[in-house]
Amino acid sequence: MSDKIVISPTSRQEGHAELVMEIDDEGIVTKGRYFSITPVRGLEKMVTGKAPETAPVLCQRICGVCPVPHTMASVEAMDDSLDIEIPKAAALLRELTIASSNLNSHAIHHFLVAPDFVPEDLFKTAVDSVGTIRKNAQYVVDMVAGEGIHPSDIRIGGMARNLSELARKKLYTRLKALVPVVDNHVELMTNLILEKDIPEGLGAITAPVFASDVIYGKREFFDLDRFTEIVPELWYDDPEIGKRACTTVPLYDGLNVETGPRARLDKFQGYKEKGVVAQHLARAREMKTYLSRAIAILDELDTAANTLADFDPRGTNKLGIGVVEAPRGTDIHMAQVKDGKTAFYSALVPTTWNIPTMGPATEGFHHEWGPHVIRAYDPCLSCATHVMVVDDEDGSVVKNEMVRI
Amino acid sequence: MAFGTYKEVVSARATDKAIQKVAQDGGIVSALLCYALEENIIEGAIVAGDTEDAWKPEPTIAMTPEEIIAAAGTKYTFSPNAIRLKEAVRQYGLEKIGTVGTPCQIMGLRKMQSYPFATRFVADKLALIIGIFCMENFPRDSLKTFVEGKMNSSLENVNKMDIGKGKFWITDPEKESGLALKETHGYEQAGCNICLDYVAELADVSTGSVGSPDGWSTVFTRTDNGADIFTAAVEAGVIETKPMDDVKPGLELLEKLANGKKDKGRKEIERRVNMGLPSPF
Ligand SMILES: Cc1cc2nc3c(=O)[nH]c(=O)nc-3n(C[C@H](O)[C@H](O)[C@H](O)COP(=O)(O)OP(=O)(O)OC[C@H]3O[C@@H](n4cnc5c(N)ncnc54)[C@H](O)[C@@H]3O)c2cc1C
Ligand code: SF4
Ligand SMILES: [Fe+2]
Repeated sequence: MSDKIVISPTSRQEGHAELVMEIDDEGIVTKGRYFSITPVRGLEKMVTGKAPETAPVLCQRICGVCPVPHTMASVEAMDDSLDIEIPKAAALLRELTIASSNLNSHAIHHFLVAPDFVPEDLFKTAVDSVGTIRKNAQYVVDMVAGEGIHPSDIRIGGMARNLSELARKKLYTRLKALVPVVDNHVELMTNLILEKDIPEGLGAITAPVFASDVIYGKREFFDLDRFTEIVPELWYDDPEIGKRACTTVPLYDGLNVETGPRARLDKFQGYKEKGVVAQHLARAREMKTYLSRAIAILDELDTAANTLADFDPRGTNKLGIGVVEAPRGTDIHMAQVKDGKTAFYSALVPTTWNIPTMGPATEGFHHEWGPHVIRAYDPCLSCATHVMVVDDEDGSVVKNEMVRI
Repeated sequence: MAFGTYKEVVSARATDKAIQKVAQDGGIVSALLCYALEENIIEGAIVAGDTEDAWKPEPTIAMTPEEIIAAAGTKYTFSPNAIRLKEAVRQYGLEKIGTVGTPCQIMGLRKMQSYPFATRFVADKLALIIGIFCMENFPRDSLKTFVEGKMNSSLENVNKMDIGKGKFWITDPEKESGLALKETHGYEQAGCNICLDYVAELADVSTGSVGSPDGWSTVFTRTDNGADIFTAAVEAGVIETKPMDDVKPGLELLEKLANGKKDKGRKEIERRVNMGLPSPF
């Protein structure tokens, strides 16, 4: 006898998704499918035809969890399209912003998975350190990027302003003081994750890793020729799911990929462990990497240096690519500017890459572990969702046609 | 009530000669900001700094007493100091900020604190808000027009501007000359005609010249915070005071002007409302 387990929506993640698992008599998952059911995003359409400066401002609204990486990928794409070379101090400030923002985001994920790993007597300790880490990391983003949630000062051409010496010293002191907090927190979480009775090999997959950089992100990594995007009907072998899924399926070299902390460590630091435990450990380990890089940047930053390049906003219709390593993986925005207006815009966001990979990763283990597998990817659905044409009356997808943007 | 809520009103001036020399009146604004900075009550102040263009102030984030004193003196045109508040908190890293503004600007700051839309963790960093009395303010082009057209001078030549005794005064290298205020009417910004606040009723401390003798200022302490800082500055000898009753022309004149502004403003509001125009009050 085979049965079907449907979890909808999957919980303790951002946005709405559905996990459909076919299971055998023992409850072992034989087929896993994970797909987004979060309503449409549509921001790419909204920015088209507007001034290039509009794109980062609107695209940071793609997602309330990662507004910072989306802003950053957006300005990176615009910088590239407009052939701007940003000043060195601006590049440092951008990296500082990403390091701090990702540190904050990883800490949030520990809130989400705390019920899976943290025993009651340690709950307060873990949650307190998450709070302290978030507060300080967001303070850095506030100061450097102007605003923690929707940063105002990440601009095409660089950053709106440099820090004052006073601010640089304050941030340096604060982050230095945060080191023992992060160290203790990472040690605590690492031990709890290792102690948990997670079955060996849970979530281990063979999909290639997709990562551009250890911390910030590298434009050169992304080769458009190796990228294809297919509609969900072609990916999911269940027509009903193909119809309801809200995202396109991005492929690299024709394959679905894994992106995120483990993928970054695998590619750049020789970390070859796979699966749920490895993903959690990689995420914890990155928190230390982010913090030490942030401190190093604050140490080296020249606060008297210019942070904004002069540029011609008219554009030549060059396809600009912005690649930023967001907490959940590689975030790619593409933009073309012509006659001072955005002529084309597209965002390939981290969770979209992981969506086709997450479902099959549940296979081979009891379905009760399914949600653990999903949470290990820390999926964030709001940014991953694309636009499709639906019938206003019954909400069904019209003629299986997806609007490709 | 003509003066809004306040704890105490006195006549006062800064004891520091360097401040007296450059200040508009008693130097209360500069002296209080410098005192607060030196006592670490604030880490910096947003003031109306000078620019290369004569009488074209620009909101300036002052981090030293020298920078505060360099911005002393009244500029009778706009310096929207609040505009740099966010930057002062963010990129400058100031967690305790002092600032100075006209009554309308103070209203804006208080509104920001009450409804911190887009000023999350910003407006709460204001540690000292000093209000200056204000009857009206002029666009810079207005100043230029009557200084050149009616007073035969030029903005570049004017060292000091002042309003008092029914006249708008300029001091240039040759002389001091005054223009009757009825000659400046119509040059003020339109909003000033419906403004009901003369004495910065929402500030921590508010100050102006009216009521006190030349070189002295009239000072209202309004909030606990404002009163504490002012009292401490007096005790530290940075500011000296006299009871209002002992000085001429005294509170009576101030009351007359404050009430006059409210009456005139209300009439203008009524007139505009009757014409179907919007009114913020
Ligand atoms: C437009 C205007 C109209 C005024 N009308 C009156 C009045 O009718 N009656 C009266 O008694 N007083 C009035 N004042 C206040 C008066 O001119 C003095 O500013 C006040 O007494 C403070 O003097 P002080 O010696 O204590 O300050 P100072 O030590 O000289 O410092 C003055 C401070 O005010 C700041 N400042 C100057 N111009 C502006 C501006 N435009 N906007 C914001 N901040 C500014 C300076 O940067 C400085 O920090 C007016 C001020 C302004 C700006
Ligand atoms: S009169 Fe009122 S509105 Fe006009 S500048 Fe002064 S405080 Fe502002
Ligand atoms: Fe997201």
